[in-house]
Amino acid sequence: MKKSKLLQSLNGRGAIEAISLCGAIIIWEIVADFIIRNPIKLPSPYAIFLSYLKLWEIIPVDICTSLLHFGIGLGAGAAVGVVVGMLMGWFRAADRVFDPVVEILRPIPPLAWVPFAILWGGLSHYAAGFIVFIGAFFPILINTYTGFREVDKTYIDAAKVLGCKEERKLIKSVAFPFSLPYIATGIRIGMGVGWMCVVAAEMFGVSKNGLGFRLFQVFWPLHMMDKLVAYMIILGLVALLLDRLFRHFVEDRLLKWKKGMVK
Amino acid sequence: MNHKLEIRNLSKTFSTEEGEMMALENISLEVKPAEFLCIIGPSGCGKTTLLRMVAGLDHPSSGEIILDGKEVKGPSPDRGMVFQEFSLFPWRTVLKNVEFGLEIKKVGNKARREIAERYIELVGLRGFENCYPYELSGGMKQRVAIARALATEPSILLMDEPFGSVDAQTRNILQEELLRIWKRTKKTILFVTHSVDEAVYLSDRVVVMSVRPGCLVKCLDVNIPRPRKRTSMEANEFREKLLMLLSLERSKACISV
Ligand SMILES: Nc1ncnc2c1ncn2[C@@H]1O[C@H](COP(=O)(O)OP(=O)(O)OP(=O)(O)O)[C@@H](O)[C@H]1O
Ligand SMILES: [Mg+2]
Repeated sequence: MKKSKLLQSLNGRGAIEAISLCGAIIIWEIVADFIIRNPIKLPSPYAIFLSYLKLWEIIPVDICTSLLHFGIGLGAGAAVGVVVGMLMGWFRAADRVFDPVVEILRPIPPLAWVPFAILWGGLSHYAAGFIVFIGAFFPILINTYTGFREVDKTYIDAAKVLGCKEERKLIKSVAFPFSLPYIATGIRIGMGVGWMCVVAAEMFGVSKNGLGFRLFQVFWPLHMMDKLVAYMIILGLVALLLDRLFRHFVEDRLLKWKKGMVK
Repeated sequence: MNHKLEIRNLSKTFSTEEGEMMALENISLEVKPAEFLCIIGPSGCGKTTLLRMVAGLDHPSSGEIILDGKEVKGPSPDRGMVFQEFSLFPWRTVLKNVEFGLEIKKVGNKARREIAERYIELVGLRGFENCYPYELSGGMKQRVAIARALATEPSILLMDEPFGSVDAQTRNILQEELLRIWKRTKKTILFVTHSVDEAVYLSDRVVVMSVRPGCLVKCLDVNIPRPRKRTSMEANEFREKLLMLLSLERSKACISV
């Protein structure tokens, strides 16, 4: 009885979540200190905390570098993906022109492009951004395409009767707003894939900086596992934050009208 | 030439996978200005198809549609349409939905808002301007659709079973409101329904259509003085006449099947 009351009072304030997280860290610490007892095989949370203190100068630089790569790739992927997806979804001819090329290029893993990225862009931000672009482009394209394909004919007819007849206006006033939720989903998936691509591209040495570069090209050869785990955690947290920001600004604001349909 | 709308020998065939399918056959019809015309007929007889062609959304296979002396070639905001299914843009608020046609016409911000608000008021939805369609009931959605169709000031209103998906009480209220709007705006209204009650309560004239391929069976003037009472003797008599005609149509369909 008492227990359930305690749980109730904790409920809703994120307390249960916090306890769960603390518990996991404590278990980890115990396992690392008393069972594994090898800081290379399993660095302890405390050691990781200390490595954050040692790395505090370099962490922001690496985060910014990786975000720059990510931004370049995602921006380009969204711009090209939305435009091509829109053309393919709306115009039959464009669909037939682009589809074979897209279908052949799509299954190629983004990392297979690393040699060309280096060859074309050198060890520049753009080379890393290119890998992100490859990763983010296809989910955005496919989702935008689906959105434009599924535009309800009734909306098109309603718009036509109200005087909206040119293709350009129909796209702008009906098909595009209709497709926005699809585009948002595409971008969100693209962000996830893109972030993996940033890290992987940097690991493969497409850049001389960034979270992935530091993790794989510096910490790993030197077996600085505490610092390596510290960076792994940063990688996860940045992705989480990006996703939350996106959801907050796009799904809760821009797509307010969807509320009644999905939830 | 004093007809608002003239439909001459209109036919429509759809080409489907099983071959040509005749939806409408040789329809001729004249509609006077400010007339309230109901089109009634069994499901699938081509009522929607007929209205869509008047709206300019579909093209006739043969025959012509003449509105204000000019042949209908495509959709235009001088014909407002309320669709059978919900057609509000879900990403726009009530106000923005009603403003849509005016935006396309490039009416200025302020004037647009004023006009939209006037029509929202006319359909009795004041205070709901900033709601999204998902926040409205079915009846409210159809009122917005009516306001949206009226906002561009069309001279003729095409309504395709607009109250088909609302409950009986709401339906009665909406019918009364529509009559009020019709009296106030003096629009010509083509109103599709398959409810006999609705046709008798609303229209100046009822057109009865046959089962597929749809053709006109009969035009009946509804000479019941307005304001009408749903339960009056005359209304009942008229209803009976209509029901007879419709069941005759249905039995013909059974024989032909
Ligand atoms: N685009 C189309 N392609 C092929 N056939 C169609 C098309 N639109 C309508 N039809 C056919 O034409 C016939 C008439 O359809 P319509 O929608 O006009 O009927 P309706 O009288 O409005 O029926 P309801 O009262 O159920 O709405 C139907 O048999 C339908 O299958
Ligand atoms: Mg219909």
